[in-house]
Parts: sequence; C-alpha cells; structure tokens
Amino acid sequence: MIVIKDVSKSYKKGAIRAVDELSVTVAAGEIFGFLGPNGAGKTTTIKMIVGLLRPDSGTISINGLDNRREALACKTITTYVPDDPAVYERLTGLEYLNFIGDVYGVSKKQRIEQLEKWLDLFDMNLAIADPIQSYSHGMKQKIMLIAALLPEPEVFVLDEPLVGLDPRAAHHLKEIMRRHCVNGGTLFFSTHVMEVAEKLCDRIGIIHKGKLVACGTMGELRTQARDRESLENIFLELTEK
Amino acid sequence: MNKLIALIRVSLKVNFVVSPIRHRLFHERRDRWMILLVLVSIAGLVPMFTAYLGLIKTVHGILAPLGQQHALLTLAILAGQLFVVVFGVYYVISAFYFSRDLELLIPLPLKPFHVVFAKFLTILINAYLTIMPLVLPILIYCGILDRVRPTYWPLMGFVYLLLPVIPLAIVSLAVIGLMRVVNLSRKKDALVVAGALMLVAASLALQLVIGRPSAGPGEDQVVRFFTSRDGIVHWIRSRFPPSIWATRILGVHMQPENWKALFLYAGISLLLFLGMLLGGEWLFYRGLIGMKEISGRKRIAARKKPLRGLSSGMHPVKAIFLREWRIMNRTPIFLLNVLSVILIPLVFTFAFRRGGKNFMPFVLQIMASTNQTYKILAAVGFMLLCSCLNGTASSAFSREGSQFWVSKVIPVSYRVQVTAKFLHSALIALLGIAISSPLILWVLRLSAAEIVFAVALAFPAAATLIIVSLIIDLARPLLDWINPQRAIKQNINVLMALLADFGILGGSGFVSVYLLRSGLSGYIVIPLLLAVFTAASITGFRCLLRSAEKRYPAIER
Repeated sequence: MIVIKDVSKSYKKGAIRAVDELSVTVAAGEIFGFLGPNGAGKTTTIKMIVGLLRPDSGTISINGLDNRREALACKTITTYVPDDPAVYERLTGLEYLNFIGDVYGVSKKQRIEQLEKWLDLFDMNLAIADPIQSYSHGMKQKIMLIAALLPEPEVFVLDEPLVGLDPRAAHHLKEIMRRHCVNGGTLFFSTHVMEVAEKLCDRIGIIHKGKLVACGTMGELRTQARDRESLENIFLELTEK
Repeated sequence: MNKLIALIRVSLKVNFVVSPIRHRLFHERRDRWMILLVLVSIAGLVPMFTAYLGLIKTVHGILAPLGQQHALLTLAILAGQLFVVVFGVYYVISAFYFSRDLELLIPLPLKPFHVVFAKFLTILINAYLTIMPLVLPILIYCGILDRVRPTYWPLMGFVYLLLPVIPLAIVSLAVIGLMRVVNLSRKKDALVVAGALMLVAASLALQLVIGRPSAGPGEDQVVRFFTSRDGIVHWIRSRFPPSIWATRILGVHMQPENWKALFLYAGISLLLFLGMLLGGEWLFYRGLIGMKEISGRKRIAARKKPLRGLSSGMHPVKAIFLREWRIMNRTPIFLLNVLSVILIPLVFTFAFRRGGKNFMPFVLQIMASTNQTYKILAAVGFMLLCSCLNGTASSAFSREGSQFWVSKVIPVSYRVQVTAKFLHSALIALLGIAISSPLILWVLRLSAAEIVFAVALAFPAAATLIIVSLIIDLARPLLDWINPQRAIKQNINVLMALLADFGILGGSGFVSVYLLRSGLSGYIVIPLLLAVFTAASITGFRCLLRSAEKRYPAIER
C-alpha cells in the first residue's frame, strides 16, 4: 500500500511547483496508473515514492512505513524501474542481476527459480552473459524489469515501463503486473499509453501541472468528464489548459 | 563550414557545461555561492603563485649574467608541451572514442574530420587552460624582466596559441592509429588500456630522456653546460626542436633566423594539424564503429548454461565492492587513470636503471644521504604518491554518473555503501604501496626494519587521504557527464582532493622535520605520526559515515 499525503515538490526556489499538494492512496492488490502530459510531475512523484527525491512537504508511506524515516525498510519491499534504462553498462546482465540479488538478500534457490522464469519469458537467456552496453534499448529495459522482479517485491513502481519493449514483452509485462496485484502486491506506474491504462488499471490518476486533476476508476473518471467515450478524451479534456 | 562552426559551438558548450551553469546561475538562481568559492580558491592560490614568480625571478637572475635567460622560456615551452603529451593521451582517447555524444554525432550528416576537428579544438582549449598557470607566468614575467621589444607580446600570444598544437596533433594521430588497430581485435578494451599505457609510458620516458642532461656529472661539463652561450638551448634543440623554434621567435631582435623559426613552428604545427585531420577522415570512423561490438563466444556458452556464474548470495559490502572493482577495471578511461599512477614507479625504475644515481631526484638524494627517519619519511611520501593520488577515491561517487539512482534505491544503508567504496580505494592504494615498496627498498636502500616502519606508517596515512578524498567527492559529486574523462581528470573534486592530500602530506612532513630538528628522536616522531594518522583515519571514517547519511538523501537526480 502506498499513501501519498499532501506532497509538494518545487524547483527554482519554489518558482516551479512540479508537484502540488498531491494526495493519493494506492491499496494493496491495486494497479494504479498515473497519467499526465510531459512535465506534469509524474516522474517527480515516482522519484519521491522511491526516495530519489525529497518532498518539500507532505509524507509518503509504503505499507505503513515512512519512506524517509524508515527508508531502508521501504526499499527492502519496493523495487523501481526508471523511464531511462541507465544501468551499469560495463557489467554483464548476469552480474547486474547477481548484484541486485545480493543487495536484496535473495537466496540462491529463489534466484534460480526467478531467473529461469523471467529470462525465459523475456527471451534474455542468450544475452545474459553479455555486457549490458551491447544491449538494445528494449533489452536494457527487460534486464531492469527482471532485476526489479527478482526480489519479489511487495510494491512495484514503474516509470513508463512499456517504452522500448516489443509487443510480446509488453504483453508479458502486463500479465506480470496483473498477477502481482492478484497476489496482493501494490503497483504504481506511469504511462502515456491510454489503452493500457484503461484496460489494466484498477484506478487512474491524472496529474496536470503538478496537481491531481482526476483520480478514480474508469467509471468514476467518466462521470467527471463531458466527453465520456474514452480515457483519451477524458485525458485531453482534463489537461487541455 | 557552417556545420563545422555549429559543431564546434556545441562541443565547446558541452565540454564547459555552459548551458547548465548559465541555467543554474541565472534562471534557477542557485549555486551562486560557487562563484564566491571559485574566487576564494583563486585567492588561495595567490601565495603559491607569488612563490612561483619569485622562483622565476631567481632563476632568471642566475641565468641572465650567463646569457642564458632565454633557456627559461625554452624550458617553460618544453614543459608545457610535454605536459600536453602525457595528459593528451587521456583526453584524446576519452573525447574521441568514449564520449557518449558520439552516438548522436555519427548519424548526423557530418564528415569524420568535422567531428575530429571539433573534438580536437575542445581538447586544445582544455590544454590552454591546463598549461596556463605553468607556462604563461614565465612567458609574461620574463618579458617584463627583459624589457622586451613591443613585438614580443603579440609573438608571445602566437607562440602560446600554437604551443599545444604539435604535441596534441602527434598524440591524436597516434591514438587514431592505435584505435584503428585495436578495433580489429576481440579484446578491444584491454588493448585500448595497454596501448594507451604504452603511449603514456613513452611520453614519460621521453620526458625523462629530455629532462636528463646528457652531460655527465663532471663539474667542468656542468659549468660548460650553463656558461656556453645558448648551452641549454643547444642541448634541448637536439631533443625537441619545436621548443627552440618557439624560443627563437621570442628572441631579442627579429633576425632572419627568427623568421625561419617562426615559419618552421607555424608550418609544422599546421602540417601536423592537417595530417591529423586527414588521418581522422580516413581512420576515425573505422576505429570508432564497432567499439561496442562484442564477442559471440559468450553467447554460445550462455546458450548451454545461462545461469552459470550465478552468485549464491554475498554480503552487500562485498557486492558493492565487486561492482566498483568491475566497473573501474572495465572502463578503459577509469582504469587508465589508476594504472598510470602505478606506472610511475615502473618508469622510475626503468629510468633509474638507465641513469643510475644521477637520475635520482634531488630531494630523494638528500633524504637518502641523511638519517634513517628522513629515509623512512621519504619512503612513505613516495608510497603515498604512488598509491593515493590517482583519483580513485576522489571520483568514487562521481564515477557513478547517471547510474547513481541505483545506489539510492537499493536497500543497503549508505554507511555500508561508503564502506565498500572505501575498501575499493584502499585496495588500489595497497596495490600502489606493494608496487612502490620494492623500488624504495632498492633506491633508498632501506633495511627490512625501516621498510616495515614505512609500510606501517603508509597504511593509516593512505587511509586518511582516501577518507578525505571520499568526503570531498561525496560533498558534491559530479554526476552529469557524457565523457568519462570528466568524472576523473576534469572533475574539480579530484583537484580539490589532490590539494587537500598535498596539504596533509606537506603539513605532516613540515611538522616531522621541525620535530626532528628540535632534537626529537625518529623513534618518537615515527610512532607519533603513526598514532596521529591512525586517530585521523578512525575519526575521519566516522565523519565519512555520518556524511554519507546526510549527503546521499540530499543528492537528487
């Protein structure tokens, strides 16, 4: 469960409020899709959830733990995939996964089970011994997804996870996301793909200029907009100004 | 032409981080205190600069009665050019072959020589700035002391502008050739490191050959060397003519010989520059394309058993240490910076074997000839020079660059992460101590007991220097870089750490000499230093851990 309460973050000494008094609760077992135009504050919010940025005000808790006061405990149950797959290019895929396994304390048995499953699913078996610098953008994205799945986290935070993935891998990822939440996990992700958000998410939040302009299930969002045909129309209407 | 100018403008802006700095200072209006810091740092260098001017005046005063004052200009130009050769190897390899902007530049409708030209010019401007404090004071002060003709000043500017061109063009051609050959091999990275080390070793050897008078130590030869008209100048001419041409240009009267020197200096610079562009046009892309290709052998092995090599779980300290070790060793630019310092004692050995005792630096000779404690202190100083001043610790955080986010999200306490980084830097330092110890044993003829004392003192001293360097880099890591060289050689943290380390070493050396001259026995001074450095390293390590807890969360990316 993720609870974001009155969180604000500004840049340029307060001149730009990237996130403005944002409050969202994502329950366990829920997929929460976070939408918004470029520069609306999605990545800033996600970075605050995983501890990369410090909010100016407000609190964020993960499964009841304050992500600043009990940062280490929060990190143990959370994994994150950034929008830019900047990862240790001089390590091989396996060395990177080993590193993640070591720092999250994943047992060898669990590593074998997990990696056999994910490497096969994402078709990465042949590339695993190669340096990451030789990977394509999509392969880097896949290795980061596998690394994030390896510790079997309770909370999964993904920033634009479908960018760069081939259709098969994207399909598998959506399945994984769904299964993660069916098993009681929490998932917070940002996307620009309206169809994915519409079909996959239990609830959707739309952020615009740092403020949460809409939040709820698809049904609830429809009641908030004049043009209720599709999420795309709702999104365009809510973010047009 | 417009393309080239546009590319040069962008390259310069990227290299000097112009846009982000302008944005930070004038749009975001933050970090303005950095301007003050830079001014204070410059002000802090004033005493050192004054001492340097004093030294120039003294040497000029000695040489002028002998009619040798121009030798000072020659030596300054020569020193600047040799400096450019050694550091040029790193800058050229890094900027030409490992810069991340290459992926953006190659697909653009630019000719290879456009890219080579823009990158060369960027390195050239870096070279002007790097050698400025070394060379310009001599050129300017000698001009003032000699009351030169008015044409001296524009000619001095001309000489200075062309000064790094010849060495840099030679290095660039060598590197472009090297990379073309290296690119044919499977083990590209290893060959890049080996080849670059050979170039650095060759540069250092050249430096030693030029820097060591061929005359023997005989008194009359030395006297002749200094008293014969242009003795030093003639001696250097036989080794590196461009520095002589440059000196001739700055001569008292503009004689035909000086014009010849001017044409030679400008002509050779231009020819080498054009040759470098031509070499770049032919070979640059061939050396570049394929640098990221990897061997197919591992794929076959991986097909058979993909999870071979899976770890059974290790302590986070070990895991992070291993990450640091692997990334350092596999990034040629990072590895080169470390290995080149280890190279120093090896080149030193080589030169010593060839030059015998005459080669031994003056300071070492004095120390070797006096008492046991000085010998031990000299040994410790040399060990620390070879082990700690390589930028490993002072770029430990900066080297993470855009991947720093991983360190912030993994469930490992910042204290543990910093401990692993300390251990990594300590291992490199140990390597430096291990390599320099046998050499010291041989050069200074230390007894077994003395070397034990020296090593025992070097350990806590090295730990202290590493901790100081880590604290400096952690305070403000340079994470936004596209060229890995920026994380080390062009990182102000590395320079600040170097100054701090020299300050600590100089301060301890000064105090030790003072205590010894006050009549205190070496048996007291050495254990005293040992105790001080041990206490400093323990206290410093605690500070480092506390600093990690504060700084990591504050570093936002």
